[in-house]
Amino acid sequence: MSYKCSRCKRDVELDEYGGVRCPYCGHRVLLKERSRDVKEVGVN
Amino acid sequence: MATDYDVEFVEREDREARFLVRGVTPAFANGIRRAMVADVPTMAVDTVRFIENSSVMFDEQIALRLGLVPLTTPPEGEFVEDDTVTLSIDVQGPATAYSGDLVSSDDLVQPADENVPIIQLKDDQRLEAEADAIMNHGKNHAKHQGGVAVGYRHLQRVEVVGDLDEFEEQESQIVRGVVEDDGELVPTSEFDHDLANRYPGKEVRLEDVPEAFVFHVETDGSFTVDELVTRAADSIIDRATELEDAVQL
Repeated sequence: MSYKCSRCKRDVELDEYGGVRCPYCGHRVLLKERSRDVKEVGVN
Repeated sequence: MATDYDVEFVEREDREARFLVRGVTPAFANGIRRAMVADVPTMAVDTVRFIENSSVMFDEQIALRLGLVPLTTPPEGEFVEDDTVTLSIDVQGPATAYSGDLVSSDDLVQPADENVPIIQLKDDQRLEAEADAIMNHGKNHAKHQGGVAVGYRHLQRVEVVGDLDEFEEQESQIVRGVVEDDGELVPTSEFDHDLANRYPGKEVRLEDVPEAFVFHVETDGSFTVDELVTRAADSIIDRATELEDAVQL
């Protein structure tokens, strides 16, 4: 899963051991990025 | 059995018109109105593929806005049902994405207006999407309504009954629509919708002219008023024929 650190804006890969923390600056707030695939939406 | 109707235009522009039809029953007048609203198919965006949307609004909200953008509808016969036309949009902020930014794959299907705002984009926001437009009827979704402000009123005849008493104060008499005065059609906007302005010091009487209706028709830009009315009439013919075949009269 790719996240973005909300303080240093760098991309962060999380694994199950590291806990929720940015490895570069130690910030604990990470933002989930929007997936890159094309999303199809119907107009209703 | 074909019947001719007496049709007279009072105002006529591409997207808005007012015309008088004589010799129709109220039921038929309403049938025409309903056909214009619900039974004339137009093009509208139906599915949207989002490649990038970093704006502040959800994909679904933007998709709905794209769906409501009026698109020009190709002439009859140019287009079969289930055909799709793809329109793409790619706007990088800071800017406002307008309907005019939609690029169509078909010259016949274009945004009817260039200046419908879709969304405001701030720095580093971007909207990139592809939209598929299809042909459908207004009865299925309001985005497919070609006629957006369609209505009719009875034609009213004005008759001067007599003079007012010398010291009697004239009361305003408000009418809206079109009045017939000695066979001449006068839109009420010409005298500020008040008969007292047109006939000062006179006593007038108003009465509905039977079987005469003044239609006021406005389209969303999908096609001209002429086109809308003829297609509505055609749709009534189609359904009447279908009914006739079904019951085998």
